[in-house]
Amino acid sequence: MTSKQERDQARDKRTAEILVKIDSLADKLVKEIDAGENPHLEIPIRGSSNVFFDNKSKQIMLGDKVAQRYMFNVAHARSFMQTMLVASYVKKDLLSNNLTATLRDLYYAKKRTIKGTKEDTIDDQKESDAAIVDFEVALGTFRERLHLRAEPKGRMAGDLTVVDHVRDKTDKIDLSRMGSGGWAVPSIVEQIEFEDLAAEYVLVAEKNAIFDRLNEDLYWKKNKCILMTTAGQAARGARRLLQRFSTELKLPVYCLTDSDPYGWYIYSTMKYGSMALAHESDRLGCPEMKFLGMSASDIEHYDLSSVTIKAKDVDIKRAQEIKNYDWFKSKAWQGEIDLFLEKKVKAEIQALSSKSLQYISKTYLPEKISAKDFLP
Amino acid sequence: MTDGAPTTTDLEKSFKEYSVAEFFKKNRQMLGYAGETRSLTTIVHEYVTNSLDSCEDAKVLPDILVEVHSLTARPRKTVLGIADGSEKNFDLTDSMGKAALFEVFVNDVKKERGTDYVVKYGRKGKQSVKQVVFRSSPSADAEVSALWATGHLKVVVQDNGTGIPKSKVGAALGKLLAGTKFQQQKQKRGQQGIGAAYATLFAQITTGKPTFVRTGSGNGSCFECEVSVDVKKNESVLSNQKEVRCNFTGLRVEAEFSEVAYERSEYGVYEYLRRTALANPHAQITLIEPDKNLVVFPRASTKFPEKAESIKPHPLGLGTSDLMDMAAVTQARKVGSFLSSDFSRISNDKVKEVQEWIGRKTAGDPKSAFLVDFEKHPRNLTWEEAERIVNAFHHVKFNNPDLTTIQPIGEDQIEKSLKNLLKPEFLSVVERKPKVFRGGIPFMVECAVAYGGNSGSGGNEGEFLRFANRVPLLFDAGSCAITEAMKTVDWNRYGLKDFQENQPVTVFVNFVSVYVPYTGAGKLAIAAEDEIVAEIRMGLMDAARSVGSYLSGIKKAEDREKRKLIFFKYIPEVAEALHDVTGKPKAALESSLKKIAETRTVGLEEEDADAEKALEAVEEAEEKEIEEES
Repeated sequence: MTSKQERDQARDKRTAEILVKIDSLADKLVKEIDAGENPHLEIPIRGSSNVFFDNKSKQIMLGDKVAQRYMFNVAHARSFMQTMLVASYVKKDLLSNNLTATLRDLYYAKKRTIKGTKEDTIDDQKESDAAIVDFEVALGTFRERLHLRAEPKGRMAGDLTVVDHVRDKTDKIDLSRMGSGGWAVPSIVEQIEFEDLAAEYVLVAEKNAIFDRLNEDLYWKKNKCILMTTAGQAARGARRLLQRFSTELKLPVYCLTDSDPYGWYIYSTMKYGSMALAHESDRLGCPEMKFLGMSASDIEHYDLSSVTIKAKDVDIKRAQEIKNYDWFKSKAWQGEIDLFLEKKVKAEIQALSSKSLQYISKTYLPEKISAKDFLP
Repeated sequence: MTDGAPTTTDLEKSFKEYSVAEFFKKNRQMLGYAGETRSLTTIVHEYVTNSLDSCEDAKVLPDILVEVHSLTARPRKTVLGIADGSEKNFDLTDSMGKAALFEVFVNDVKKERGTDYVVKYGRKGKQSVKQVVFRSSPSADAEVSALWATGHLKVVVQDNGTGIPKSKVGAALGKLLAGTKFQQQKQKRGQQGIGAAYATLFAQITTGKPTFVRTGSGNGSCFECEVSVDVKKNESVLSNQKEVRCNFTGLRVEAEFSEVAYERSEYGVYEYLRRTALANPHAQITLIEPDKNLVVFPRASTKFPEKAESIKPHPLGLGTSDLMDMAAVTQARKVGSFLSSDFSRISNDKVKEVQEWIGRKTAGDPKSAFLVDFEKHPRNLTWEEAERIVNAFHHVKFNNPDLTTIQPIGEDQIEKSLKNLLKPEFLSVVERKPKVFRGGIPFMVECAVAYGGNSGSGGNEGEFLRFANRVPLLFDAGSCAITEAMKTVDWNRYGLKDFQENQPVTVFVNFVSVYVPYTGAGKLAIAAEDEIVAEIRMGLMDAARSVGSYLSGIKKAEDREKRKLIFFKYIPEVAEALHDVTGKPKAALESSLKKIAETRTVGLEEEDADAEKALEAVEEAEEKEIEEES
């Protein structure tokens, strides 16, 4: 465990770095204003036109296309102003006081009626959230460094102790003693340290229900693993933690989702990153992650045909979309997607309960893991 | 007529006379006498076009007076009701429904029919009654009243033209199909000789009264008489003839009609004269409405239109009915000589070619009766024979008609005229180069688009004005080439989307040709031939383009203001945030930002100008494409 002094030093250094970045950006704007030029921000474009899959690093990456956001452009003026509000809040309210805030805190802190008008600086949180992303990519950093927190999501259990630091307080949490609910994964996990690891792999489920099932069966204890649920699309804290398990603790990470294109896509964002957060793939992606199930071929293999759900048009459309993504181009995945498109059925993980309640923990998972029956 | 059995010629003659006067009596709608308002407009049209032509012949600037008097025991004013703010319908009595004069007032302000209200049948209990239906409800407590009069309308039209020689008065105003225009084919407004004479007949049919005529040539004496038509013989009957001492020059016609109605609608006399004035800037037109309201459409230009060359019709411009009409009045005694003498570009050799083509066409036909006898009298030509000759015209090569026969109003004259009457904020006039249709008939298109001022039909609604050789086409818009062309233009591109509903815009199109291919005997719509529609479309696009730039200029100025407002709104917020981050004084940042905002709002215009150039390039390419296709 690191000492408080070490931690404080590291934090102060990070903060200083960020402040330099913010100041140089603001100085550039002031210089432009003094020179009578149209002040602008350079913001890397985050959209399909500027996102590509890097086969080497196995990450979804941001290209080098940059959009100019001008103060004096009718279409840009409002979001330029909002980005400035974010800059002011981050520097003056958060970093200077060593405080963190949620995205919603920022929204309320900066929402007000513009003087002499009936217009608000920010209408709804979507606007300030977008301004935050603009600001972080303009600075080339991520929101945790700006002391901004997303809503936490995800729970964990397993033979591992985490050491968490909340300002000056340090807590040691034994994840094998978290009861039926598990430990809630915080939104910022940079400061967390690990101790007393007695697990051999990480099993991450997309669904709360699966976590609850396996936790009740004490699956993690019997199979020496760390169990996590992302409760749907994985939040940043959960993704960052999975990456740290993979890179720092060198644990294999296996993923469990429903057998449908949405589940598979959730897996891919955890593994490779997402298009919206392509600028953070290097610290949120987990390229070593493996897909355990459920695949389309599992339906046949585990004789689940009688408990499938007919695919809807949107499912088919989504499948066709992900089939075209570069990171689904492996032979195995193309085969799975083709099978789905052919059979036009999907299945939930809970379908395994049609065999017996503990079929998943006693048969399905052990069989798959021992046979290394994974998809890349 | 001789005693004894009638001869064949007598029979033919009486049959023919029956067919002219009686035919038109029974088919009055063909000539525009359908509906009470339209009938009155047609009457005024016939007189006024004759007057304009006559003034052109006399080389004088036309001064035309039109009076419409209500011949009743004075118009009565009746309160229809007091508005409650929501009611739109006001019932009329039977006699009001049939009134010759009918005007609606709200709090003594005259309302315009068609624009402000319509009169239509509505339900009242189980009965159907005529009602005034307002577009938007008159405000609460407003008095809705009608000024109305049943009975006859007297129409007076007076000009300062050549007048009519005493000996021709009967033929000009009392004999159907005896007009002078068939003999001298030139680009004139009226093209048939039946117009004014039919008005005489219409007065006679509806009121039993003759038409009063005064004609003079300014030599101190003029001729007055009353004209009526002997329907059976198709002869004029002149009565009360007298010479009076006065220095009058021109023609004055007074006639009394029933089954006509005066109203200020898109189809009424007022609108007809307004449009006539627009297309004839050299004319001054004065109108006295039945309520004694005096309207003057002042002369905009003293430039006299160039006199059209007199030419004979070109074979390509003819339809079967035209040929029949001409055959009925020709001096020629044989079909062959009729063709070679009464048409341009038909030589004796060409007559032979026409004859041979018909011969070849019917060679395989067992019924040789289909051959046309070129030796017979033109008057005995049957419809089928005429049809075959017209068909042959399209298969024999003739020299093209003379381009000098086209007499446009002219760009500068249209400009003067529209500026004079519409006083627009912006005006664009386009005169296209002459083109040909049907393989050789020359025509030309003049277009104008006026924006703002008095443009449009009032109430911020646009209007679309069609003209053929300066004559306003008020009816049958649906089947007209000009309407067709208008529909194909992407008005949105010029900021004129839906201008007919909500922009003060007047679109003006004059189609010029010696042979206007009208779609019917009413002569109110131009046949939608491809070449014509394409050319009008080009003209409209040309004219609309500069209006589009003007409008986008206005929009730009507005945008500039809006842009500035947006920037100024955010400046304090940005300045404060930057102050928070950098510590620079807020006031200094604000004032620097404001300075940039001022220059920025202007600077962006160059981008807009570029966009405009791009639009022009697109259209030029489009135009080229169309031209290459055709």
